[in-house]
Amino acid sequence: MLEKNTELHAKFWEIFNKQDRHKIDEFQTYMDKFAVNFNLYKDGNFIEQSLPFDVVPRIISKEEFAKIDKGLQQRVKALNLFLEDLYTDAKIVKEGIIPETFVKEASGYLKEFVGFSPSQKIRAHINGIDLVKDSADDEWVILEDNLRVPSGSSYPLSIRDTYRKIYPDFFEGLNIEPIKNYPSMIAESMGYVNTGGIDVVLTPGRFNSAYYEHSYLAEKSGAQLVRPHELKVVDKKVYFKNYNGKLIRVGSVYKRLDDEFLDPKFFNPDSLIGVPGIIDAYLAGNVALLNAVGNGVADDKGIYYFVPKMIEYYLGEKPILKNAPTYLPYFEEDRKYIFDNMEKLVIKDVAEAGGYGVLFGHEMTALQIADLKTIVKANPRRFVAQELIEFYDEKCYLNKELVNRKADFRAYVVVAEDVKVWQCGLTRYALEEGNYLVNSSQGGGFKDTWVMEL
Amino acid sequence: MDQLVTANVATNLYWLGRNLERANQTLYKISKTYDLIVDVDRDAGVKLYKTFDIELKYDNAVDFLHQAILGEHSANILETTANARESAIISRHRIDSEAFGEIIELHALFDSLVKSDLEIDYKLIDQAQSLISEIWGALSKREHTNKSDLFFRMGKLVEEADFRLRFNKDAAITDTVIQEIDAIVKVLSEDDAPANQTQSQSSDESDLITLINTKIHQVIVE
Repeated sequence: MLEKNTELHAKFWEIFNKQDRHKIDEFQTYMDKFAVNFNLYKDGNFIEQSLPFDVVPRIISKEEFAKIDKGLQQRVKALNLFLEDLYTDAKIVKEGIIPETFVKEASGYLKEFVGFSPSQKIRAHINGIDLVKDSADDEWVILEDNLRVPSGSSYPLSIRDTYRKIYPDFFEGLNIEPIKNYPSMIAESMGYVNTGGIDVVLTPGRFNSAYYEHSYLAEKSGAQLVRPHELKVVDKKVYFKNYNGKLIRVGSVYKRLDDEFLDPKFFNPDSLIGVPGIIDAYLAGNVALLNAVGNGVADDKGIYYFVPKMIEYYLGEKPILKNAPTYLPYFEEDRKYIFDNMEKLVIKDVAEAGGYGVLFGHEMTALQIADLKTIVKANPRRFVAQELIEFYDEKCYLNKELVNRKADFRAYVVVAEDVKVWQCGLTRYALEEGNYLVNSSQGGGFKDTWVMEL
Repeated sequence: MDQLVTANVATNLYWLGRNLERANQTLYKISKTYDLIVDVDRDAGVKLYKTFDIELKYDNAVDFLHQAILGEHSANILETTANARESAIISRHRIDSEAFGEIIELHALFDSLVKSDLEIDYKLIDQAQSLISEIWGALSKREHTNKSDLFFRMGKLVEEADFRLRFNKDAAITDTVIQEIDAIVKVLSEDDAPANQTQSQSSDESDLITLINTKIHQVIVE
């Protein structure tokens, strides 16, 4: 189902219908020429490929985005307070708002960091929050919080530049929010928590799926792009190894690799990547890590259930943006509801990401549902169930025709002294009609997001 | 503060310069040699590749193009441009974006030959050389603004010196190329002491290249 057309949409289509559609091919030419890639491994082979792009942008009015902005600021503030509390006083657990065992069983909870408070007490610096717009009540709903290594911001940034060159009429004729400030938001966040030294973006390397983004954000934010072995830890201080062997002190690291690969001395000793000793430097307060180690507990799909409670607990406010109705089989009452209604629910494995481990009850056979119930019963903490949200489709121009596709929206929220929401985001659409999975790793494409006013 | 560059990026910028210049110089030689093979000297290609220590076999002028560009040997243009592309991707945050795009296009030009089975003709060489000229143009806009650009420039000059020595070009001009390499080495090594001057007349070709490479290894500390 499509959202009702607004005057802003009408203005877009008025200009779109006057444009030379042959020029749409230029977007792909641009992405190929500039290797705007999202790489993947298939059958053991490294494949360089660009993300599918659709020329029709998602349009959000400035007024509507203001509510999203406010709601996301509130949510990320609460999530930061939750993480700081959980790893220090743990009042939220002691007061029974979140069950202790539920937190401690989260795979992203790292007990080794209990008692440690990072620079400026900020833990979730650069965040990607996934939302959809519910067609039932026209409200935006939060689907997922990504507080570890959310990717994707470089794609709308790159494509907007190209869009302005190929079809300047839209940008001359419409009042579209500019978006070039995102790298400076990241630079501001790194600078705010920096403990003294240069800022670096830490990439696993050229064969990572998002290497393009790492390189792009380092260049645009003015940080140095480094691979793990290009950092060295001496006396619990982190140094950048310059080409001539000189060591330059590092004050903040925007890490683009998962916690378990960050430091082989601390986490996985078999890891070939990572910076040995960086955790010691971090715990000594000699370097800031963005995002903080141990954030996985807050973007756990089970902990998501408690975020509205966190907002009320820490901020004393009602949540501005709502969660999708979620049930935890961990609680007996919820489990009963899930088992009675499994065929209409979406069941998610909390340990999975990228659209993996998501099962739609309406697509399952009776036998599969019975099997799933057995699995859920044996390990209730591993799953959550959600009501299926009929979120709006977006109009897409695919294969030279206009079609409707399900689309979500990843908003980027960056924390420095203040919490700021980027006035853009990554709109991801499913390639097939009716598919609810829009993730890039599931073959989904992306489109630009225009925050506009008349 | 001086610009910071990791050894990996410095090395890749250096090799990007070398591989682009290698492709450029080799394409120029291929173009001239193709012309000779058509109706002047059928063995001109064999002689050219002997200079590269490669035994090249071909049936006719068009086959010479095919073997020179895609043949299984170390001076293969497809591989040279693939190496340039790889270096560009690794160091893309230090390269002019237009130049980066042209480098990707340059490799795609040769890569498409493998995928399409099209016959190679001389126009491809013109096209590739135009692209390389555009890359130089885009890069020269900022060639001396950052230290990282000097690694690229140094790679280009080292390859140029290599070709000049290999083909016995005017020694005086070769010396000016080498002097520029020495000057770059001095800036990059941040050493106040005057750099040792390298003279093309003073040694044979392989000694000179070894000497230049030693200096470069002293600049980039892995």
